[in-house]
Amino acid sequence: MSLTNTKRNHLILTIVLALLALFFLSPILIVFMNSFKSKLFISNEPFAMPSSATFSGGENYISGSQKIKFFNAFGYSLFITVFSVIGISLVTSMLAWYLTRVKTKFTTFAYYLLVFSMIVPFQMVMFTMSKTANMLHLDNPIGILVLYIGFGAGLGTFMFSGFIKSIPLSLEEAAMIDGAGPVKTFFLIVFPILKPTAITVAILNTMWVWNDYLLPYLTIGTEYKTIPVAIQYLRGGYGAVDMGAMMAMLVLAMVPIIVFYLSAQKYIIRGVVAGAVKG
Amino acid sequence: MKKSLLIALLIVSVAMSSVLFAAGAKEAAPAKEVYFLNFKPEIADVYETKIAPAFEKETGIKLKVVTAASGTYAQTLKSEIAKSNPPVIFQTNGPVGLAESKNYTADLKNTEFYKILSDKTMALGDGEKVLAIPYAVEGYGIIYNDAIMRKYFALPNKAVSIKSADEITNFATLKAVVEDMTKNKSALGIQGVFASTSLAAGNQWRWQTHLVNVPLYFEVRDANIAMGSKVPEIKFSYSANMKNIWDLYLNNSSTAVGLLGAKSVDDSMAEFALGQVAMVQNGNWGAGQILGVKGNKVSDADIKFMPIYTGAAGEEKYGLNVGTENYLCINSNASVEQQKMADQFLTWLFASETGKQFVKNDLMFITPFNTFKDSELPTDPLAKDVIRWMNKSGVSSIPWAFSMIPSEEWKNQFGAALADYSVGRKNWAEVEKVAVDAWKTEFKLTN
Amino acid sequence: MSALPQAGRILHLSWESVMQKSIQKYFVLFALPGLICFAIAFLIPMVMGVVLSFFKFTTVTDGTFIGIENYKRIFINNDFTSALWFTVKFTVVSVITINLGAFTLAMLLTRGIKGTNAFRTIFFMPNLIGGIVLGWIWQVIINGVLLPRGVTIVSDPKYGFWGLVVLMNWQNIGYMMVIYIAGIQNISHDLIEAAQIDGANKVTMLRSVILPSIMPSITICSFLTLTNGFKLFDQNLALTAGDPGKQTEMLALNIFNTFYGRSGFEGVGQAKAVIFTIIVAFIALTQLRLTRSKEVEA
Repeated sequence: MSLTNTKRNHLILTIVLALLALFFLSPILIVFMNSFKSKLFISNEPFAMPSSATFSGGENYISGSQKIKFFNAFGYSLFITVFSVIGISLVTSMLAWYLTRVKTKFTTFAYYLLVFSMIVPFQMVMFTMSKTANMLHLDNPIGILVLYIGFGAGLGTFMFSGFIKSIPLSLEEAAMIDGAGPVKTFFLIVFPILKPTAITVAILNTMWVWNDYLLPYLTIGTEYKTIPVAIQYLRGGYGAVDMGAMMAMLVLAMVPIIVFYLSAQKYIIRGVVAGAVKG
Repeated sequence: MKKSLLIALLIVSVAMSSVLFAAGAKEAAPAKEVYFLNFKPEIADVYETKIAPAFEKETGIKLKVVTAASGTYAQTLKSEIAKSNPPVIFQTNGPVGLAESKNYTADLKNTEFYKILSDKTMALGDGEKVLAIPYAVEGYGIIYNDAIMRKYFALPNKAVSIKSADEITNFATLKAVVEDMTKNKSALGIQGVFASTSLAAGNQWRWQTHLVNVPLYFEVRDANIAMGSKVPEIKFSYSANMKNIWDLYLNNSSTAVGLLGAKSVDDSMAEFALGQVAMVQNGNWGAGQILGVKGNKVSDADIKFMPIYTGAAGEEKYGLNVGTENYLCINSNASVEQQKMADQFLTWLFASETGKQFVKNDLMFITPFNTFKDSELPTDPLAKDVIRWMNKSGVSSIPWAFSMIPSEEWKNQFGAALADYSVGRKNWAEVEKVAVDAWKTEFKLTN
Repeated sequence: MSALPQAGRILHLSWESVMQKSIQKYFVLFALPGLICFAIAFLIPMVMGVVLSFFKFTTVTDGTFIGIENYKRIFINNDFTSALWFTVKFTVVSVITINLGAFTLAMLLTRGIKGTNAFRTIFFMPNLIGGIVLGWIWQVIINGVLLPRGVTIVSDPKYGFWGLVVLMNWQNIGYMMVIYIAGIQNISHDLIEAAQIDGANKVTMLRSVILPSIMPSITICSFLTLTNGFKLFDQNLALTAGDPGKQTEMLALNIFNTFYGRSGFEGVGQAKAVIFTIIVAFIALTQLRLTRSKEVEA
């Protein structure tokens, strides 16, 4: 009796959740659907399916990509994200190891500064940082990597430190007794153990950098637009917002990140949890 | 182990190749380059696709044109001017804008560009120095589609006794005509008399700057304040007149008031071009937005201007609002060669045969330069009608008093108040209060 | 006998310091790159920002000292305080709705019903989408919903407010849900069984077993939703850009507009940013302290 009850409850639950899930997906589906409608018919009837009168095929995609040079934006986003993430993982893991293993007043102070930086809102430094970046000629797709490493240092160091603290010293000691210098010790012994954390850090940073707007807008935005900057440019640019182009570009902007998500889902969710636990 | 190595290699190679995507847009700053920060999004294409290539072909100098998004010019200029590769040619919109940019405007007294300005008093400066040179004289008013107007005047049961649009010479007549046209919308085949009173962000300038110019001018005229003076406060004495025309726009447009916050100037111009409305307030710079629209239904001969009437006494004697808000400056922090190249470009654009053709046919500027013969004035219907009104006997143009508005912030606040009024969240007395109070505060903050 | 452990400890200790010393030699390789990037991107701009908040300046090198003038100027008109109030209202509402929603979903998705994994995937997905893109998606949808009423999202600040709340929920419920799921799955079965044997009903189970056990998750979720809500920028910019007339402008956007929306207010912008930082830091630390103490009790 109770078995059927539970089964029935579970069925109801599944249905409710399925409806909720559909509701959750609907914004994405609506945008996708609208990207195939001609621009004049989007604002007026956003929830209508494309009909033969309003269907515009790939026209929005073509005009949109031309208007904001989407494929260039994609290239910049990809380049900056991949290399920032690699840079952050490498640099902060090394920094974290140093700060955790070398216990001086300086390293403790540095560690707290890094943690503090995670709370500070970007607006505090945005103006002065864009000026410094410009003075040091970092306002290009390569220089911006330095900026992302700097901003990502807080979270990265925090997470790596947390994990390193739990690695028994004996492993590293043993290596050093065997004559390995710090470089070998780190790269051959410690870093492999850090892999799960490195994946977590990489994933959290990928999500951040790929979607970031203000930093690239302020430093490299006029010449090199990443995807979020390019999308926002559709708004102010030329007065009106071409809704058709906007819909198509929104779809294109979402596709890479959704593909990334579906293929690396397990790691992403694991990473989110690990990130939270360490917090 | 092998699999993750493979994945790592894949990621890195994709990233490296992504540089190829972007490579098309990468540029190392070439030696002969002049950076021009353009203010007008409507004609950005012309600069980028026609003018820059032609200039480079003739002189070998590359013109880098960057256009600031609508409503973001000041912001973009500020950010760009502080960079290591700043704009060399930029725009200021009058005394207020010039004051903000004074630290980096070069003295243009000895440039070729200054030499071609016909009326030297039009330039803005500081004592002996010439800091900003106007490049386009523009006029605005109510643009109307005479074909629709004729259709209206042919209606058997119309409420007015006049027979054509040019007999409208005051607000009372305008109101009568417009309201009657709204009654007869379907007979005339239009969605509304006026195009959407666009209130989207960055698109309110037609009201908080251009429309308010009319009551503003009358007030300073009555107080004998000279154009260009500093005005610490206003009483908004002609506010009832502004309300007249504002209500007329709101209640007789193609779009319900609640939806105006999403409408842009482009939308309004498109409605006019497609024949969906009979009138739209705008200026001759909007010519490209009518003539260039796909499916344009208005013939050139039917595009005409009428003044913005508000019910002020003696308004029959006034014509369109004519003036300039477009001044060009050269960056004093740029190198001497770059400044010379800037001068070369500007002179080429406004004095050489190739340049003048672009100005006349593509940019469609009415310029204040002595290099343009009458035959070289733009021939688009809007420019022609502005010139007709400027030369009409018995009427004087209304100058652009709005250059005396203390700051952009005042315009933003006033525009927001107008938007609130249009959806019923403010009454007109509150709009007046915003206008008066904000003027006082802003004047204090900026002086 | 007792001397040996001592000796071992001394040996161990001295190995530590030997190791530490040998690592220290590699400061330039291991620590310097990170510290330099951190200094350039954060530390130096931060210090400059705080210092400049007491100056009148247009670029970072041409300032004149004016004491606390900037801080006073912040309150000349009330856009900062209304942005603050709007931000507070928004954050409070979002934190509550997101955490309630996420926790509920987490409870529902830890029962092993069919499709749990698929649901988890779907609910989490919105989190990957960037702020700007999200703002635009929801602007279209909300305008579409409002169209029959003849209004748009910028006709009235309450549409913008609730629009932001809906957007934040959509984006973050999945993320917090994942954290709560992990927390719930970590509750020891012994604890649950013991409570069941004791005759605990669902409410008691929730109150006395589940909630205390997942306190760490509550800590981190509150921290994230609180700080994210308060610092929100991209979504605010894309959804309404503060319209109508700045009435839906949150603090971060207000500060941005102070810097870049008008001239002569850079010092004021910097001063606002300092206050903003202090508020966020205060809230974050207070919240952490509150929930952390609850964790220890559990």
